[in-house]
Formats: sequence, C-alpha cells, structure tokens
Amino acid sequence: MNTLDTDVLVIGGGSTGAGVAWDSALRGLHVTLVDRQDFATGTSGRFHGLLHSGGRYAVKDPGSARECAAENRILRRVAADCIEDTGGLFVSTPEDDLEYADRFLAAARAAGMEVEEVPVGVALRDEPRLNPRIRRAFRVQDGSIDSWKMISALLRGAQAHGATVLPYHKVVRVIRQGNRVEGAVMEDQRTGEEVLVQAGCVVNAAGAWSGQVAQLAGCEVGVRPGKGVMVAINHRLARAVLNRCHLPSDGDIIVPVRTVSVIGTTDHPVADPDDTECSPEEVHQMIEAGELLVPGFREARALRVWSGSRPLLPKTEGPAGAGDREVSRSHTVLDHGPRDGLEGLVTIAGGKFTTLRLMAEDTVDVVSRKLGKEAKCRTRTEVLPGSESHRFYWIGNRQQEAETDPPDDPLICECELVSQHDLDTVVARRPAWRLDDIRRALRVGMGPCQGGFCAFRVAGMLHQEGRYGRAEANSALREFVQERWKGVKVISWGAQARQTRLDRWIFEGVYDLEHLPE
Amino acid sequence: MGTDAVVLGAGTAGMVAALRMAAAGASVLVLAEGEGGLPLAPAQIDVLGYRPQLVLDPLGELAGFLESRPDHPYRLVDQGEVAASLDWFLELAAPLGYTGSPRLNRLQPTAIGALRPTCLVPETMAAGDLSGGGSVLVVGLRGFRDFHAPLLAENLALAHPPSGAEVRARAVEVSLLGDPRDLRPQLLARSLEERAVLAELGREIRSRLEQEEVVAVPAVLGLERSREVWRGLQELVGRPVFEIPTPPPSQPGQRLQQHLFRALRRLGGEVRLGARATGYRAAGDRLAAVRVMTAARDVEIPADHFVLATGGIGTGGITAGPDGELREEVFGALVSRGGAPDQPLVEYMATQPLDRLGVEVDAQQRPLGRGGEALFENLWAAGAALAGAEPWREKSGEGISLATGFRAAGLAGEARA
Repeated sequence: MNTLDTDVLVIGGGSTGAGVAWDSALRGLHVTLVDRQDFATGTSGRFHGLLHSGGRYAVKDPGSARECAAENRILRRVAADCIEDTGGLFVSTPEDDLEYADRFLAAARAAGMEVEEVPVGVALRDEPRLNPRIRRAFRVQDGSIDSWKMISALLRGAQAHGATVLPYHKVVRVIRQGNRVEGAVMEDQRTGEEVLVQAGCVVNAAGAWSGQVAQLAGCEVGVRPGKGVMVAINHRLARAVLNRCHLPSDGDIIVPVRTVSVIGTTDHPVADPDDTECSPEEVHQMIEAGELLVPGFREARALRVWSGSRPLLPKTEGPAGAGDREVSRSHTVLDHGPRDGLEGLVTIAGGKFTTLRLMAEDTVDVVSRKLGKEAKCRTRTEVLPGSESHRFYWIGNRQQEAETDPPDDPLICECELVSQHDLDTVVARRPAWRLDDIRRALRVGMGPCQGGFCAFRVAGMLHQEGRYGRAEANSALREFVQERWKGVKVISWGAQARQTRLDRWIFEGVYDLEHLPE
Repeated sequence: MGTDAVVLGAGTAGMVAALRMAAAGASVLVLAEGEGGLPLAPAQIDVLGYRPQLVLDPLGELAGFLESRPDHPYRLVDQGEVAASLDWFLELAAPLGYTGSPRLNRLQPTAIGALRPTCLVPETMAAGDLSGGGSVLVVGLRGFRDFHAPLLAENLALAHPPSGAEVRARAVEVSLLGDPRDLRPQLLARSLEERAVLAELGREIRSRLEQEEVVAVPAVLGLERSREVWRGLQELVGRPVFEIPTPPPSQPGQRLQQHLFRALRRLGGEVRLGARATGYRAAGDRLAAVRVMTAARDVEIPADHFVLATGGIGTGGITAGPDGELREEVFGALVSRGGAPDQPLVEYMATQPLDRLGVEVDAQQRPLGRGGEALFENLWAAGAALAGAEPWREKSGEGISLATGFRAAGLAGEARA
C-alpha cells in the first residue's frame, strides 16, 4: 500500500477543508487533504453564492452576524478574484413587519456592519425590478462569491506551500492505536487502490458528512444535515443581493452570481446528506417567494434547481452561550481528546461559507498546539493566488478578455464563453475524471443549454487529446447528461422546457446516445 | 384578399401540407413564428426505428407497433397513406436525390458513432448505410467542434448491424482553411463551395486513404451547391463519400428547407416567416381567420382551410406553465400527455412527462376543444403538434409529419370538393 506521512490529514475538500489546508500550509505544517469526490462537490459547491454581510443573522444570531461582518472584510482583501462586489439590500416587503426593520438596523450596527437606510425611491432606481411596494430599504456589504474559484484558489495556494491534495480518495478506515488516531486509509475511487496517510493530527472537515467520518474513528458528532433548495434563473434580475428584511425563512434571498441569479433557500432536516433530490413543491415555493421580491419572477427562465446539505450544529454541540436558537449557524472546534478520550482527531463542525477563514483559523490554532508546532495565523493578510491585483470579479470579465484578446481557438461553450484553450489549461492543471469536474472549473454546461451543445464537444476533445478512452468518453457524456437532467427535470416549463426538448433532439435524434455502444 | 388555405408552421408537416394543397391548385400561405424546424433537422427521413427493439421494416412493423401504442399519431393514417406520402416526398425531393425504401431501414452512423436506423436520406448521405457492414474512413476537420472523428470511428467499429457483418472504421483529421480556427458549419459549407478549398480537402483525404471502401465527412458539403460539392469530392477521392449529420445548425436541414420553400413558391404559394399567430376568428363551426402578429402590425388572415403544424413544446406550438398548465398557443386546443407519466423519472433515457405531449384530434385530424368535440370543421393538425409520439427516441418524426401533413392536405382537398 502506498504510504504518505504528513502533519495534518484533512478529510473533506469543501470550503472548510480547503481553508484548513491553506491555513496549515501557511503556518509551515505539512498537510494532506482528501475528498471522496472532486473538491467543492458537497455543500460548498451547492450553495447560493452569498458572501454574507451579516445582515441575515443580525437580529437572530448576533454572534454569527459579527463574524460575517468581519470575515466579509477580510475575504474582500485576500480573495478579490473570487468575489463580485454586488452590494446588498434588505427590503421590507408589504408582508414584512416594519418594526422588525428598526430592530434590524440597530442589530446590524451593533454587529459592526456597514449599513445605511436608503430612501425607497433610491432603492427602486438602483433595482428597477424590485417590488415597487417595498416600504424600507437598507444597503449592506453583501456580495457574491464563486465557491469553485475560491476553493480552487485555496488549494492551489496550499499546494504552493507544500500541501498534497487527493481528490476521489474516500476514507475507508481510520487508523487507531489505542486511544490515538494516527491516520487513515483512503481508497482511490478511480483505481480502487488504497493509500495510507499517517498523520500527526487528523482534521474531520467533512461538514454535513462529519458524523459519518467520526463514526469511522469510533466517536459521535451530532451534526444534522439541513437540506436547502436553490433555483438558478437565467438572468441577473438584480444588481445587488436582495434580502427580505424579516426573520430569516425560506426563499428570501436572491443572489446575482456569475451569469445567473440564485434564489434560496429552504431548510429541511434530512437523515442523509447525500439526499439532494428536489421536489416540484420545493421549487414552486422558491418561485412564489421570488415573486414577492421581484414581481414577474415566475415568468423568468428557471435554468436549474439543486440542493445542498448544511452542517447544522445542535445547541448541545455548539459553543457555550450560543443563545436560544435550536441550532447554530456558528461553528465549533471539537477536540476529541478531552471530549471523547480520543487523541489526534479534531472535528470542525457547523459554520458557513462566509466564515470559512475563521473556521480554519480556530481549527489550526488547536491542531498546531496539539502538534507542538504553534505559529501565527497568516490568512488574514495573505492574498490568495489569482487575487494579487485586488480587483473584484465582474460579470463582464470573460467577455472583456474575449474582446481584448480574441481567441483563435474554438469556443466550446457559447453560454459561458469557454474556449478550447480554457479547457486545455484546466485539464493540464489537474487531470479531470468526470465532465462534472470540468463544469465546476469552467462553468461548461451551466448556461441555458445545460450541456446540450458543449457536453459532446468536451467529451470529444478530451478523447481526441488522449485523456479519455472511448468507453470513458461515452460514459462521461452519459453521466453528464444524466446529472444535468437531475437539475432540470422539475423545472419543465417555459423556455427551459423548450430547451430540454432541443437537448433531447440532439442527444437522441442527432447522436442516438441511447443506442451507443458502452 | 383571401387565400384558400393557411398553414401555421414551416417545418416538415406544414410544408408537406402546403405543397400538396398548392399542387392541387389551392392558394396557400404558410406562416411561421420563427424560421421553421428544418434548419435544426438532420434531414434524414425517419419513419420508425425503435419499438423499442430495432425496426428493420418500418412499414411492415407499423401495425404491430400500433398495437402496443394505440394512441400514437400513426393510428390516424393507414399504411397505404404512409407509403403514398413517402413516395410523394421522394418525387418532391428528387433534386436532392433522396433515396431509400419504407420497407427497409438503413443504418447510418451518427456524429458520435452510433448506428442509427432511418428510412430515406439525401444523396449526400446515401453511401452511409452500413447495414451490410463496410469499412469507413472517418474524416474530421480540425477546429470543428461538433464532430470528433476518433471517437466516432472507435464507437462505429463496435457497432453490430443485425446482418452480423463487420464495420471497420478509421479516423483521420484534416486541416482546412489554414490553422485550426473556430470552424462553424455554415463557414465550412460556404468555403467548400469554392473549388480550391474542395480540391484541398479532396487531396488531403486521398493521401490518407488506405483500403477503406467509403469516406465519411461531417454534413458540411455546401449549401446551395451541395450536389456539385458532394460529387466533386467523390471524384477527387475516388470513393463513395457520405455526410454524417451534426448538431444544429444543420446544413442538410437548410438545404431541404430551401428546396421546399422554393417548390411552394413555384406553385404560387407563399411562406411568411417571423409571423406569429396570436388568435383567431370563428364563424359558427368554422374557422374564419387567424390573427397574426408581424413586425409592423396585427393582421387578420381569412381562409377556407387551416392546418395547425406548429409542433410541440420544442418549437413553441405548445407551452407549459410553472403551475403545470399546458396550452396550445393559437386555438387553445386540448393538450394531452399522450400516455406519458405526470412526474419526471430519474433516468433521463426514459419516457418523460413532456415526451409525448401534443394536441388531441378526432379521426379526421381535427384538434379537439376542452369539451372533446372538434374545434372547427376546417382546421386539421399535423406533425409534431399531435400527441402520442416520441419522435426522437422512436426515430419516427419525419414519417409522422409526412403522413399526417399529406393527409391533412387531402382532407382539406375533400372538404373543398
């Protein structure tokens, strides 16, 4: 069996794990990060893309609000390329309590947020699609953040500081020596080969799956997966993030991110974090909720629906004095030494994308102390790869690049302006296994056609370059088509229903994918 | 100024109905919201390819197929009429050299290398029937994104025609028009109409050719002068050459469309594109006029006979609302799921809720209203607007359009007499 030695083994390649890897590497620790799939495939790649100002938590969870406000400022400094500075509005719709708006303003200020009330007329001028019947509006520092870019930047940064990252490596056994965790055995999901990683400390950063990982080590972590449904709309319906100014509930945020707007979200406890099915009822609930913020939302073209599992932390696991809420959106570092008498294992539980850096700092503080290799955290100031210019991402970036430096190679994806050169760059950086991995890196298949035109091109090109064998190309294409169907099958109306017919015409009428040899 | 017949929709069904009515002496106006479905179409004429097992004799297996699918639109036409419509089409499309028999499916490679049953093909695809096996040189064009010769050839070499014959395939890549650039099918088709470019392609292929019996190229062999381009390439290569359809925009589909549009004009008919039908005026049991939105204004077009050939959801003839409401856009005709499930299935390759969607008609192809009675005595539906078919999975679309479009014209003619 292949064996690796490392200071810190991080299990989970979502935002938390990637953050821990970056922080550890900057502190001079050798870190190895593993994920059972590609990176950012779990909750991190399945959220709405909101970089919280803190407003959402201001009234209900002041601690989380304060964390968000502070972390938001830091991320803007160190990860500008992953962030679009959209700004945000909290608005009182006709269904919202005006008295709550006063509480919101006071709480937001108390949490250290930059917040100002703007006249309704100004808000409507800035956001012409906003419900004209809103009664109050507050401007905040919300933004949108691209989770794929962010996690990729964190991991590239970590690798530049010596980290090893292993996608598609699923933990099958945790190695224990008495009351001490000494590493884990991973199975490569592509080859079936096993790899032993011996580690000074193991960090369970598996988010909604951290209960499953803890079980492998023989202890319990009471994280409760909470499913949230999101719908992407094929337009930027707003310039800023739109939030309803009320106690957070379902479908009350619209986030303009990259080429789409995302409405979210719901919160249903689920037993299995891999349960990502979305029901038509959940989708309709989102669409109707959108109507209240943006009248006519129903007529907009819904592109795709998906869900993610939040790693919710019951109060019993949460930090002391977490307040009167049932579960916390804050995070906690569980040192299984004092907690369970099991040394060498730390779980980082709870939390949210916006506070990923703080979560990592708190975790690595504990880990480095345990390893006896304490060093100062550097992630508050260290700029991530790609963000050196401190320029925020802007929706026109790809178009601008294409216009200033016209590509002379084929465009693979018209929806998202992806060229063959972009594809080559990504697969050279890290061999991709599935078309879905390429989608996350480049957004191919995420536009209006949902892969109808580009999926075949990518599969064909990767085959031509020798990266896929024949059967691999066929199954990659089939799998991608199946995966895309999952997200459109419950939004079969309007223009997207028409698109699914065109895609079917191409896949079955033109290619006859159904009768292709295996 | 009136017209005898108005056809809504400029796809295969609408054009066939219009041409047959015009040939019988009627004045015909075809209206289409867009440009019709033909520029998307591979231009192969499918009649029936899977039921779900592979169909070799489409006409012969039609009755058996209808036993398992009694709601299928083929129930509306008898076997003789299907055959007659195909014969009529072969004659109509003779200048494009359409060939084939409704008693024997051909097995033609697709752009990814599946062997796909179809019935009639234009002459530029005629050499591509691999039912009896064969050895094929698959020629890719560097920089053309929608055709990947190596994958196609490797898949094709694993195809097993029922004859048991062997298919051999080898891929080569050819650079055309200088460096590999973003080559669109339109640009390639136009360029290959230039003698020098065609000669270059011919030379390249000839120099790579080994023992292969036939040569396959993406379907970009010209637009207006495809016959010359295809013949010219065969001469240069010294072997039969055939085209393989690629995703939209389809050059063979545009060739067929232009041919049908011209044929209608020669018969005195007119095609008006960008004209969306928005409503109608009734007079008792009869449809008196359709209202049409054009760029300039709303106009009312009266006629004696009307054909609804606007297709299904894919072409906008039928729309679905977020609340699940299904609507035929012009007349509000009764829409049904044609026996497909209400809820989506997890597996993509299955019969999904929208797959068989269409309008319900009586035995005379007249669309029904919500009460179950024919809406108008002088309105007939044809093609993909009809409920009950899964054209792309069954490989039946053009056959349905030809047969029901042909019959709609016949019914209109009878009403006229």
